[in-house]
Amino acid sequence: MTKETFLHDKHVQLGAKMVDFAGWHMPVQYSSIIEEHKTVRENAGLFDVSHMGEVFVSGKDALEFLNKIVPQNISKLDYEKAVYCQLPNKNGGLIDDLIIYKLGILEYLVICNASRIDEDLNWMVRNSKGFDVKIDNRSHEFSLLAIQGPKADMLMRKMGLDTHQQSFTIKPAKIAGVKVLASRTGYTGEDGYELLVDNIHSEFLWDEILKQGEEFGIKPIGLGARDTLRLEAALHLYGNDLDENTTPIEAGLSWSVPKDKEEDYNGKAVIMEQIKNGTSKKLIGLKMLDKSIARHEYEVYKNGKKVGHITSGAPSPILGANIALAYVKNDKEICTGSTVQVMIREKLHDAEVVKRPFVEKRNRIKN
Amino acid sequence: MSITEKVLCSKSHEFLLDNGDENYIIGLTDYAVEQLGDIVFLELPEIGSEFKKGETFATVESVKAASEIYMPISGRVIEVNEEAVDTPEILNEDAWEKGWLVKIEATGDTVAEQTDLLEYEDYKEELE
Repeated sequence: MTKETFLHDKHVQLGAKMVDFAGWHMPVQYSSIIEEHKTVRENAGLFDVSHMGEVFVSGKDALEFLNKIVPQNISKLDYEKAVYCQLPNKNGGLIDDLIIYKLGILEYLVICNASRIDEDLNWMVRNSKGFDVKIDNRSHEFSLLAIQGPKADMLMRKMGLDTHQQSFTIKPAKIAGVKVLASRTGYTGEDGYELLVDNIHSEFLWDEILKQGEEFGIKPIGLGARDTLRLEAALHLYGNDLDENTTPIEAGLSWSVPKDKEEDYNGKAVIMEQIKNGTSKKLIGLKMLDKSIARHEYEVYKNGKKVGHITSGAPSPILGANIALAYVKNDKEICTGSTVQVMIREKLHDAEVVKRPFVEKRNRIKN
Repeated sequence: MSITEKVLCSKSHEFLLDNGDENYIIGLTDYAVEQLGDIVFLELPEIGSEFKKGETFATVESVKAASEIYMPISGRVIEVNEEAVDTPEILNEDAWEKGWLVKIEATGDTVAEQTDLLEYEDYKEELE
């Protein structure tokens, strides 16, 4: 059975086109993906991302447990801070990618992809043998609202956020009088917040944000624009750009993997070996040189030979060009500025290898 | 008579408009265009190419995905809508008139081939 978030009726009332996504009936667009995309880049957008998973990890061994299941150094994670993590299997392939928050002493919140909650929980429970740890899936209790865009901060302040919050931090707050956990994170490359709220308050909060955000030009944004926004920012999508056969190093996520973590973790041997000796495949960014669009699973060629495949591809509403992420052989010839070809409906189309992200990120707020 | 009273629609959401002298205009229905959302790319066949009923003759891409377009009847392409190739968003603006795709000369049994096509009112009913 398809699941519905607590905001489902709101989406229908707003005239959203609804689709099935990871077992959820979700809004893919309200007006137009391109318009919604631009609204987030120029003003602010409101997303219902309540389908995502919230798993609370606590107990005497919570820290040791998390250190065993992710490559990141959770010992260095301060109170109210967040870190982008991966969940590798024993071979370094990724079961999911996650955000982990430290909520208190020996209390952590793990946000996981909707499509992977069951796999993540299974894996966590299997790995928790011998640890004094409580793994509590409370996904069904919370709604998650994302407010993203250059005007998101102004709107949140207007609605009651009273302290300055750095990027990648989480704090209890009252927005429109509703108790939330406010996290300065997102999946668009823009500044913004994600608000974790009890289900019963989610409809009120949704309406208030749209009402009070009107002066900032806020609009509801569907999953279609969420996908094009994250692609411009070259943020990975699990299932497209990440899977169980891809390590964080191959995925271009080396920046997120500490080289000096002492604790052993799942997949560490493979991941450390790849950091030292390199990988056989790599993730690259592509810009199509004609009007064609590269899509998931299309083949990539260099000098007439197949060298890889596209993992995500779409038009970039900001660049006015079609962009893609691809895994290719780790070959020196395939470097920034070089040209490869993408097979589209039995014809080869030129694409330039370009730097990621495709559009500059503006989400690092320090002071 | 409005255009929706003259067209026949296929279950795969193409429309066929009789232009007289065995010539027809083919496009996508307003429903198809709305379901696709923002149309950003259109690939049309070369003039002179021939297709049988049901064959893929064109591709339309929205932001999210590429979709194939099928021939509602057999025919030879005599004209393609270059304006729609250059500015595919005109399909979103006006699917019936500005957003037509190709003009064809029928090459099959036009009577027999149209029996599974629906008048617009019936097509809309089928969708509900």
